[in-house]
Amino acid sequence: MHQSPNHKPPHLATRFLRWYCHPDLLDEVEGDLYELFQRRLETQSLWKAKAFYWFNVLMFLHPDYIQRRKNCYPINHTAMFRNYFKVATRNILKHKFYAVINVLGLAIGMSCCLLIYLYVQHELSYDSFHTKADRIYRVVTDIKTPTETINIGVTSAPMAAYMKQDFPEVEDMVRLDGAGFLIQKGEKTFQEDKAMMADSTFFKMFNFDLLQGNPQTALKAPFSIVLTEDAAKQYFGEEDPMGQRLDIEGDDDYTVTGVMENIPENSNFTFNVLLSLSTRLEKLTPDRNEQWGNFGYESYVLLSEQADPLSVENKLPDLLAKYTDNEVEDGDMKFHLFLEPLSNVYFSERGAPKTGSLTNIKIFSIIGAFILLIACINFMNLATARATERAKEVGIRKVVGAVRRQLIGQFLCESLLLSLLAFIIALLFSQLLVPAFNQLAGKVVTTSILQHTYYLPLFLAIASGVGLLAGLYPALVLSRFKSVSILKGRFSSSQRGVLLRKALVTTQFAISIILIAGTAVVYTQLNYMRNQTLGFKKDQMLVIDFQRDDTIQEKIETFKQQLGTYPSVQSLSFSSSVPGQTNSGAFSEIENPAGDMQASNVNLFYVDHDFLSQYEMKLVAGRAFSRNFVTDTSALIVNEALAKSYGYAAPEDIIGKRFSQFGVEGEIIGVVKDYHFKSLQQEIEPLTIQLGPTFARFFSLSISVDNIPATIAALEAQWQTLAPQRPFNCFFLDEAFDQNYRAEERFGRLFIYFGGVAIFIACIGLLGLISYTIMQRTKEIGVRKVLGATESSIVWLLSKDFLMLVLIAFVIATPIAWYALQQWLENFAYRVPMPWWIFALAGLLATFIAMLTVSFQSIKAALANPVDSLRNE
Amino acid sequence: MKGTHLGEFEELVLLTVGILYDDAYGLGITDEIEQRTGRTVTVSSVHKALMRLEQKGFLHSYMGGATEERGGRKKRLFTITNSGKEALREARALRNELWQAIPKVVWDGGNI
Repeated sequence: MHQSPNHKPPHLATRFLRWYCHPDLLDEVEGDLYELFQRRLETQSLWKAKAFYWFNVLMFLHPDYIQRRKNCYPINHTAMFRNYFKVATRNILKHKFYAVINVLGLAIGMSCCLLIYLYVQHELSYDSFHTKADRIYRVVTDIKTPTETINIGVTSAPMAAYMKQDFPEVEDMVRLDGAGFLIQKGEKTFQEDKAMMADSTFFKMFNFDLLQGNPQTALKAPFSIVLTEDAAKQYFGEEDPMGQRLDIEGDDDYTVTGVMENIPENSNFTFNVLLSLSTRLEKLTPDRNEQWGNFGYESYVLLSEQADPLSVENKLPDLLAKYTDNEVEDGDMKFHLFLEPLSNVYFSERGAPKTGSLTNIKIFSIIGAFILLIACINFMNLATARATERAKEVGIRKVVGAVRRQLIGQFLCESLLLSLLAFIIALLFSQLLVPAFNQLAGKVVTTSILQHTYYLPLFLAIASGVGLLAGLYPALVLSRFKSVSILKGRFSSSQRGVLLRKALVTTQFAISIILIAGTAVVYTQLNYMRNQTLGFKKDQMLVIDFQRDDTIQEKIETFKQQLGTYPSVQSLSFSSSVPGQTNSGAFSEIENPAGDMQASNVNLFYVDHDFLSQYEMKLVAGRAFSRNFVTDTSALIVNEALAKSYGYAAPEDIIGKRFSQFGVEGEIIGVVKDYHFKSLQQEIEPLTIQLGPTFARFFSLSISVDNIPATIAALEAQWQTLAPQRPFNCFFLDEAFDQNYRAEERFGRLFIYFGGVAIFIACIGLLGLISYTIMQRTKEIGVRKVLGATESSIVWLLSKDFLMLVLIAFVIATPIAWYALQQWLENFAYRVPMPWWIFALAGLLATFIAMLTVSFQSIKAALANPVDSLRNE
Repeated sequence: MKGTHLGEFEELVLLTVGILYDDAYGLGITDEIEQRTGRTVTVSSVHKALMRLEQKGFLHSYMGGATEERGGRKKRLFTITNSGKEALREARALRNELWQAIPKVVWDGGNI
């Protein structure tokens, strides 16, 4: 018999009872059960009493005892909501300025962010549409010579073939050999630069649909052609291309075996015409099948689902050793093979038909996030600032019986509605901006924002999140105030709210400063690159590309003479490559300072006697090719970079050294000053220059400035008579060379636009905030003026707070911007030294913009007649 | 009017309220019934019966004082209303009538 007065009935059961039981009946029931429980304790164990208590509580769970909350006090919800809506509308209409700033700022920010998001998604989507994309790898090669390592995106023909034969993990392989062809259809001749030869497994590995023809067999037989839809139209018009013949490079055996859909924008493959690779490997050059050192085949392998790419990669050296007897790794050159996932090809530094930049994508993502952040900060800032104005409304609502939950709900709904409105406007904006954006990006990122909808959930979530966050602060703070103190007027915006706003404004300006500095650095760098001395003349240089047409090569001197007769042509020369165009590498052996022949793979230009002088390239040592020396056909000119890479201290030292290259042996006769034969992003690589028409592909013509169209027309007419089989294909060297900076320029422009938008949004936010602050202090300003304050002191009073914030922002932003930009500049081989003044400029500019915004309002306030502000008491 | 009829359990409760006079509340009534009849009765069923009886107008209730043993909870005290008394009388009269209608032979117990 134990009775302890401390024993209480089970708490949970009592709570449950209280929850469901009608309050009018609760007392008697709970009392009875308590009494019963205590009595049971005297005779029974605790847990039995408790169990019994539970039992009794449950027994009372009866309709008669369950409280009817809903019916107690009927509330007209629709009327209440209508009231909320009305008040919200009136509020917006009363403060149109703030409402517009608020919604528009957020809408602009969101649409920018949306476009950037679509762009980033597009960039990341390259070749991801292939169903087996995650199992496809590109076989790539590193070539190591004693002086350098060359990373290339291709390998030789047998590599992938033997991988498939020897490795069970390799399910399939496709080799691609890109080339340009002269294609004839009847009378018409086309220069097709985007042609490729591919293994028959191409359509099995990659998801390109054939509109006509059998994907299994279309590329099997030699001399088969698959055309893209556009190419089919180009060559055959409305005719049915299937089974038709085409003449390629003078051989009319080619038959069209398929028409495929056009390649989507987000694919690395860029061909118009696909030829069966068997044409090359079975008919044209069968020995390629065993040429392990002939790098030129983009090779893809499909691994089985269980395969580990790393273990496959590790088996590659053995494969090389097994089949090549070290024939390939002969001498000083060593090869290493790697597997590169298909998804990385677009970003690969080894080169691909199209290349994207991961850095740029990251930068844009950050800018997008920044813009969105700034816009959200605006929205929240203004919402919290303006919320204090509605304190009276809250007071009245509380007096007539609103409970806190209702007030919170009201504020949240209001700001949620505004942010969703902004989202809808943002969608409209984006849709309108899509064409301009595509042009800016230089490709069709999206045809319409409705094309994809994957971003919708994310952006809806962001919009509602911003709305909720913006509404949360006023909702929680305002609803907490005592209505009495609000209505008595003893209410001031809390110190915490002001601090929060200040922190947010500082963040905004820090971001703006970073973006201003970024924009400035990007532009300085682009300018620097454009104005860099290239080391050769590129103006008024017309280049004719004849694609190594051998009939032209045979009579090249005649051509040169004929083209040179035209008076507008001041000088001309032919060469295997011109600056800015691709050029081939050559296996070369050159005598090093120790006197040994050292092998390396270096760039090679074949030129004629006039090339160097026409391009105004300077020699730093030795002499140029001369017609006076018959032996110059086996002489070599190198650039400074080559002399340096071979360890010669002075360029003069390499003169007279021996070389052996493509079967030519002789001496080095001159060293040319480094010139940018590739683009400026890359460091100048070692280069060799030989004399000879063997690989000639271009004629370079310096033409006079006047009447260029007539000159070109005349040249074309002459070309038609000289080489009717070859289309007249010409370009200006400077334009073509500038193509190399297209991507950078595009990047710079995108950066400037989005940076501008970010700064603009930050400014309108600041404008809203300062006008609000001034409105709150109207009376104070009036009193100050009455007491004799000068206008300038009032402007200073109003501005100094904001100035301080900008200053803090500057201190925070500078190191971040410095670090980030330093990282970006590392991408360039030739870069401007980080200009310190840019940060000062960015800070000054930010201050200036902020002051402009602030003074616009503060001067107005300072000039106002104090009578106007004070008489309204 | 729905159900002025008095059920068996209701009659029992009503009578007990009468017995307890000025201390008739839920648990007290339950105890009394258990003692006098030896039946096990749950508090909730008594409460429900009381509620029904009040709705029918047989009982009147008022809130009593709170006591320590009830954990500070007030009790609802019931008294029989006039119509409650009338209903009891009617029930009793009905029963008497029925008693008298039973033939004497039933009680004398002749074997069948």
